[in-house]
Amino acid sequence: MNRLTDALAAKFASPVRSTRLSVVLGRWLGLTFTVCFATGLFSHGLQNPPGWMFFPTRPVWIYQLTQGVHITSGIASIPLLFAKLWSVYPELLSWPPVRSVVHAVERGSIALFVSASLLQVLTGLINTYKWYPWPFPFRETHYWLSWVVWGSLLLHIAVKLPLIAANWRRAREPANPESTTTVPAAAELTAPDPGGQQQMRSGRGTAGAVSRRWSRRGFLAAVGVTTGTVVLGTAGQSFAWLSPVNFFAPRKMGTGPASVPVNRTAADAKVGPLAQNPGWTLKVSYRGKSRSLTLSELAALPQTEHQLPIACVEGWSQSARWRGVRIRDLVQAMGAVPESDLLVTSLEPEGAYRLMTMPAVYTADEKTLVALELNGEVLDLDHGYPARIIAPGRPGVLQTKWLQSLEIL
Amino acid sequence: MTTPIQHSTPESSPTAAEPKFGTGVRAARFVVGLLGAGIAGYGLLGLPTQLGPAQLLGLLFWLACGVVLHDGILVPLTSLAGAGLNRFTFGLGSASAAVLRGALMVGAMLSLLTGILVRAQSVARNTSVLEMDYLAHLAWLWLALALGAAAVIYLLERRAGRFARAGFSQQNTRP
Repeated sequence: MNRLTDALAAKFASPVRSTRLSVVLGRWLGLTFTVCFATGLFSHGLQNPPGWMFFPTRPVWIYQLTQGVHITSGIASIPLLFAKLWSVYPELLSWPPVRSVVHAVERGSIALFVSASLLQVLTGLINTYKWYPWPFPFRETHYWLSWVVWGSLLLHIAVKLPLIAANWRRAREPANPESTTTVPAAAELTAPDPGGQQQMRSGRGTAGAVSRRWSRRGFLAAVGVTTGTVVLGTAGQSFAWLSPVNFFAPRKMGTGPASVPVNRTAADAKVGPLAQNPGWTLKVSYRGKSRSLTLSELAALPQTEHQLPIACVEGWSQSARWRGVRIRDLVQAMGAVPESDLLVTSLEPEGAYRLMTMPAVYTADEKTLVALELNGEVLDLDHGYPARIIAPGRPGVLQTKWLQSLEIL
Repeated sequence: MTTPIQHSTPESSPTAAEPKFGTGVRAARFVVGLLGAGIAGYGLLGLPTQLGPAQLLGLLFWLACGVVLHDGILVPLTSLAGAGLNRFTFGLGSASAAVLRGALMVGAMLSLLTGILVRAQSVARNTSVLEMDYLAHLAWLWLALALGAAAVIYLLERRAGRFARAGFSQQNTRP
């Protein structure tokens, strides 16, 4: 068996596959995973707020930024994860596979880390395509797996800390003039390493091949360029200044009715006849009192216009001009204070977002509207006609469309 | 391979690099490890609170498939491709070979992404999602990569003077 794993290790041996490469890639991946985890928790907290949750409404593009960064850092993690796993691949073939109980636990934790990471980034990506080919619920699985992945990352860092620290120490020592070409790198990699820190992963004796392979820095540069290309080619769905080079994202800006993309259509929500009923009214209630406003009554109230982005959990966003009635005015007209929580109900007969609770900070915000117009046009049916919510800094799924009622809590 | 393979010291073995760390580093390692295990455990215990048995089995299947596809197919194939590339690039300087490999890495990554996009286009339904002609964009990308890599390699090789020498491909052959 040793001969077989030796032969396999020799096949996959490369001076580029070194501990130092793994440490550098691990640093990059640790950063993207952590940014992705933090922004994901923020988005989760906005949608399922714990008691201590904070709700920033300024800058108005805060969620556009955090969710754009979430999706973009997740996409950036894909090439970085592939490169990181490539760099440690011979470890998979090490023999014997288990040397002790501790070693078995470590390998088990790495198996969990690798499989959860691969699944997390790929299902996260495919979710942005609105394609769900798996037999488990995406949102819940994505949330719990994020804890598994980030916890495993910390555990992995703890296990590998001696190697990581050794490479940092080495990096602080006077630098060798290391050229970007392979030859000096090869010399460095094949030279005796006094500290034993610059380990080449399994399989020695490939130095003769080195000159035709690339160096660690060449490989890292290629991984950097690949990651940069993937980011540049997709981040334009979230950030307007990158939209001219948005060639590979599932969404693009400026499309859809009134030049704003649509996530859930009226047909998906089975809401068309209800929303187009000429007798539609918006019911506003507070402490047993209620008032029903027709569309023309709403339109007769003072109208306010704001430039606000709508930003979806799937990462795309679009800034637009929204016009309608300030929600705080409606609340005050009912005799309630503007700092009130609201229960907002959509005409949708069913769906996870039919009911939405709006924390007081959004109700009181002068930019939160019951919108009747978008980009100078009456709301399209797919954008929530006859009236919808638009609030600064909230996930798109909470910008309830096809309003039925507002209950002041 | 004529020389016998010597296994390098496994990274995880205590002798690999355990040494010379003070109690501070050891304590930090312990705390971070414990914290990590706790956080990962929280996630693992949370899964069955929201996923049924069939969904958990499905998740396990997908977790296993991810590793098998990656470790069993993707890495061996890319390693083979990389080894095969050596046979074509032995006449090039190392910087040129790196440019070529870098261009191929970018192209391969974006091809994988496009493959998933195109597959999703055939099953996902919506009005303003997946609107673009991704295959056309991929074709343009490959064209740009080919032209860009060719131009850079030409400049690198000309600077290195390899074009000036007759039959350069023989001069840089394998030892």
